[in-house]
Amino acid sequence: MTVTRRREFLLLACRASLGVGSAALLAACSAPGSPSPAATTAPAAQPTQAAKPAAPTAAPTPAAAQAPTTAPAAKPTGDINLYVGGDVNIRDLWQKQLLPAYKKVKPDVNFTLVFDEHALSEQAVFDKLAAAKQAGAVSGVDLWEATGRLAQGGAAGLIQKVTSKEIANLDKVPKDSVDRFAGFGVPYRASSVILAYNSAEVKDPPRTLEDLINWVKSNDGKFTYNPPDKGGSGGNFTTRVLEAGIPQDQLTFFQTQYDESKEALWENGWQILKDLHPHIFNNGFYPAGNVPVLQTLGKGSISMAPVWSDQSLSYLAQKLLPPEIKLLQIDPPFAGSAAYLGIPSDSKNKEVLYEFLNWLLTPEPQNLIVEQINGYPGLDWKYMPADVQQKYADVAKAYSFEFSPQFNTDRNKQWYEKVAGTPPPA
Amino acid sequence: MASVSAPPLRGRSDRADRLREAAIGLAMVAPPIAVLLFLIVLPALQATIFSLGIVPSDNLVFSTGQHLIKSDSPTLAVYSDLLASPFIRDDLWLTIWISLVSVVLVAIVAYVLALYVRFGSGSLPRIVRSLYLVPMFVPVVIASYAAITFYVDRGVLAAILHAVGLPFASPAYKPSGVVITQVWFNIPFAVLMLGSGLDGIEQELIESAHDVGAGFLTVLWRIVLPMNMVPLLIVLTFTFIGVVGSFTIPFLIGPNAPQMMGVAIQAYFSNYNQPQPAVAMAVLLFAICAAAGAVYVWATSRSNKHAVTV
Repeated sequence: MTVTRRREFLLLACRASLGVGSAALLAACSAPGSPSPAATTAPAAQPTQAAKPAAPTAAPTPAAAQAPTTAPAAKPTGDINLYVGGDVNIRDLWQKQLLPAYKKVKPDVNFTLVFDEHALSEQAVFDKLAAAKQAGAVSGVDLWEATGRLAQGGAAGLIQKVTSKEIANLDKVPKDSVDRFAGFGVPYRASSVILAYNSAEVKDPPRTLEDLINWVKSNDGKFTYNPPDKGGSGGNFTTRVLEAGIPQDQLTFFQTQYDESKEALWENGWQILKDLHPHIFNNGFYPAGNVPVLQTLGKGSISMAPVWSDQSLSYLAQKLLPPEIKLLQIDPPFAGSAAYLGIPSDSKNKEVLYEFLNWLLTPEPQNLIVEQINGYPGLDWKYMPADVQQKYADVAKAYSFEFSPQFNTDRNKQWYEKVAGTPPPA
Repeated sequence: MASVSAPPLRGRSDRADRLREAAIGLAMVAPPIAVLLFLIVLPALQATIFSLGIVPSDNLVFSTGQHLIKSDSPTLAVYSDLLASPFIRDDLWLTIWISLVSVVLVAIVAYVLALYVRFGSGSLPRIVRSLYLVPMFVPVVIASYAAITFYVDRGVLAAILHAVGLPFASPAYKPSGVVITQVWFNIPFAVLMLGSGLDGIEQELIESAHDVGAGFLTVLWRIVLPMNMVPLLIVLTFTFIGVVGSFTIPFLIGPNAPQMMGVAIQAYFSNYNQPQPAVAMAVLLFAICAAAGAVYVWATSRSNKHAVTV
């Protein structure tokens, strides 16, 4: 290729890339606010599977209604389609532990596990249920593990309400966690945020929130947490501090409802966090997620941080955290949450599912959860074997609840403005 | 394009040919126009209208946002709220500052590399010629994590400097870390662009300047730089547009706050559930990029008039 032709080629490439570039730029600029007309779903909608044509609000097209019926749901009773989302540890828990264990108990119940990594298509499953209901068809989803969408689906009549009448062992589950989803799901495992500390450097760890705050102030650069929007461990730490200014009788309001004017009650908490800012690791640096915080702790850069119970216990088991790292729950406790399994109203296998869920809430499968993913059991701790209770004595305490989603998003924004936005002292 | 099919005929069929040609041309240009219209122009228009306070009720993503400003007639309230916030102003200044510094550094580093490769002799320039292309083949996420691993506290560079006994202040999670990674990432395109311009400068021109006693700096200042002006402008505008709108690098290496606009837009849109200010920031960003784009258009149209350089 001659020099001239190369030049021409480059110029051409340059122009083409400007075209593509400016197109991409425009797309990038407008993408947040510009879904294609068909995709008028809620903000979290990121279906990884083929997009379902019908959103919950849109009238379902015949195609949408037919799609679910072609799913394996039409098979005879005893074949269960289980929709689960999460990380690979959750997939392994179901695939290698829980389902094989149940196979030994009930050999004639067959499960088909539809796994969705990182639960990105929770919205897609919701859409599927909504579309099936509107079309009067069967969704083909028999059991669904989900978060807030379960309660939302329950309110919309998509999810079967369960009580201890159908599932006797539900009585052994902490009542708070069942009520949280108004009975539209069985909390079968849980985790909470706890405090991790390096016992080689911290001989007398703080056990209350007040002690923790004082500890951070007197140990410069030895504590950090992640920005509240980047992971629950930092988020629940922030929430715990904000709750310091909220009267006890208003906490439930913050956990279940929304009223912007009540955010004035946060000012006390913001002031505490702002005062902590100069004492945070690396002149006020907050690692961008649950795992980066754990890594900072593991490298020895800090000696204390709020962490998720299951993540930190797994890291300890895999030796990604040194054995000197110890865990405890402070008083009042950080927030936690359960994972819920819900039964879509249109499932034809409800009796089989009640039996399965009742089994799931017995010590043997619950122990698998504790062993495999270091989760908390769905059962109340007192129904667990004594050695498990012993092992988790420092963390196996009740946890508090998170703010409602709207309060959470406002909390995220204000944290950046009021805490991280403070210029570090020169 | 279409006229290659048949030898030209005279009279009426000549006109029919031209009509057919025009029809084919329009048909060929229709798909990209349609894509542009439905995937870019209309959504961008919709977003702009939303940022002016007119909230579409049929768009759940927009209408379920928190702290919406709703109005029946267009209002600039969203923008004035945004620009009144010292937090956002910090973000905006950081974005512009990082972009300008990155652009200047990219231009300097890339120019030196391009000059070396063009005028250097021996085998080293040939090695450099392939080395500077490397960042082009590294995905930006990988490059960002590599930069973090290298520059972070207790990272590779810290370990090396510690062994030699030198102090070290990590640029990671600071604006300087973003600048370093942006420069690294933007070098290949800049050198390719500048290099192709330099290749177009006739060797005879430089040699004759040397013959009349011009030194290296004089040749650079009087001949090379002026003749290579358009590629330089293209590099400046492209790098600027790329850095201003970047997300991955500042997201991974940037500070918690202030943030670059790309990161802030994402945070407002999903983490704070406030799509309206997010969209308004995107419009602001677009206005900034459009200004840079105007420079590019001016530069290329100028180059077409004087076909001396690229």
